Amino acid sequence: MTELLAEKTAAPMDPHLSVDESDNIDDMYLTFAVAGEDYGVTIGVVTEIVGMQRIMLVPDVPHFIKGVINLRGKVIPLMDVRLRFGIPEKEYDERTVVIVLDLGEAPIGLIVDAVSEVLEIPAENIDQASSFRSSDRQSVVRGLGRIGERVAILLDERVLVSDVDVAIPETLKA
Amino acid sequence: MTREVEVAAETSSGAALMRVSSGKISRLMDLLGELSLSVSETVNSPDLSGLELTSFDAAVHRLTMLVREVQDAATELRLVSVDEVFRRLRRMIREMERETGKQIELVVEGSDTLVDKLVSDRLYDPLLHVLRNSADHGLEPPDEREATGKSRRGRITLSASQVGSEVRIVVADDGRGLNRDKILKKARERGFFGPEEEPDPSALWKVIFEPGFSTADSVSTLSGRGVGMDVLNTTMNDLRGRIIVDSAAGEGTRVALHIPVSLAFLDCIILRQGQRLFAVPVEDIREIVKPQAAGSLRIAAENGSEVMLLRESYVPVCRLERFYRDTGAEMRPLSEMVAIVFSTDSGLIAVPVDEVLDRQQVVMKPLLGALSGIRASWGCALLGTGEVAVVLDCERLAPGGER
Repeated sequence: MTELLAEKTAAPMDPHLSVDESDNIDDMYLTFAVAGEDYGVTIGVVTEIVGMQRIMLVPDVPHFIKGVINLRGKVIPLMDVRLRFGIPEKEYDERTVVIVLDLGEAPIGLIVDAVSEVLEIPAENIDQASSFRSSDRQSVVRGLGRIGERVAILLDERVLVSDVDVAIPETLKA
Repeated sequence: MTREVEVAAETSSGAALMRVSSGKISRLMDLLGELSLSVSETVNSPDLSGLELTSFDAAVHRLTMLVREVQDAATELRLVSVDEVFRRLRRMIREMERETGKQIELVVEGSDTLVDKLVSDRLYDPLLHVLRNSADHGLEPPDEREATGKSRRGRITLSASQVGSEVRIVVADDGRGLNRDKILKKARERGFFGPEEEPDPSALWKVIFEPGFSTADSVSTLSGRGVGMDVLNTTMNDLRGRIIVDSAAGEGTRVALHIPVSLAFLDCIILRQGQRLFAVPVEDIREIVKPQAAGSLRIAAENGSEVMLLRESYVPVCRLERFYRDTGAEMRPLSEMVAIVFSTDSGLIAVPVDEVLDRQQVVMKPLLGALSGIRASWGCALLGTGEVAVVLDCERLAPGGER
């Protein structure tokens, strides 16, 4: 059994956490780190953030699905975002967290190196990803969000959780 | 006995029945699932290891019994009789008589049999199609019946009964029976069987439920479009049910649907194979044996498939690590493993595992999203320990069952 007994930091996240009433939830992104890059998913699809827990292995799933966890009676498959992007795996540590998304059909958990913060990124600060899109692949990048000096790679969650082959554009890896 | 009490309560005061939304009951079931998980988590807490816990153990025993009883009581809340579905079907018989010009006598038995509301809500369409098939293809026209010495009036029996934790719903007619030659010819055309293959009746009859399979020469408004059977298949899959067809030429056809009474909790044996946990419904297991080294054979000519001697005969072995293409797993000799023997429609199969862990009531969750590709499985089982196991469907593990 893959014993991954990190601290169970089950802290259900309130999507309105530190969000002002006047803020538009559509512009809010949860940012997290994977292999030194900042990524973001729209806060509307995030249901909670939990600590790493013991993963149960299941058959017949893509290689980037590490297994399932039992989260208070819900069976949630976990995707290792590194493996999803073709980045070498890294041993889980105390900063490793699971971001649980609900995109309507079924919940899924993203294993990421660490969560950063919730940021408001208005649409005008997001550069569309069309320039990174190659013809044979659907891009998992929705756009690049500029927050002052920083840039967060905003992901298309539906492409992310689908089976389609994705790759992070070389230009971003550099 | 409890049913009599209920009926008495119903008649003594009209207010004895309450309408409760199914959403509330689902919520209760979910909470109960969590409660039982949480109880086992507490009881199995590593903090307790090594402590002398005499009165604690007694209290745990009572608590566990109570949780089980509450689970049973909650499961019962969702049970309804099949009567309503049967009544709706009875009304359809009149229409079928009009459309086919046949005379049909419908005999209904066991309409007070109880099933999960979720099951009962989904029974009507598939049963309607089975009935239509009987009325349209099974029963002969009155003159033909008379010529073969039968009564002019065809008879269809619709019955329900509970056997163990299964409800069996049977539609039987006294018509002409299935036409073996016609079905076999069609099945061969579709490539279900080789041109020389002579399948067992039970294997052959099963093909009439394959999507798009219809032998009706003309498509009537009633049936023959092969669409109805898809509904039947899909529903039975969702309900973890099985379809069993039996037929004798000239005597009629019998279609039985075997469905678990409740979909909420499942009585399972928990197995470990490599690093994975599996669960199998207790009633699917024929026996659990320790394979003998002398009785195990590996057939190189058959792609390395294995067979195992079970008393007098050889049983095909289905290794989970092979079936699920677990490349990391080492193939241990059968004699070091425990074999679970299942009785499937295509005969016995033996599934070797590393360890048989436990028997427990599990809560089952459907396979959604990233998990929908898991083959030969009914769903994921939440175990009392908080672990998750894959519930196996032995029919689909069997050779050819994966079609």
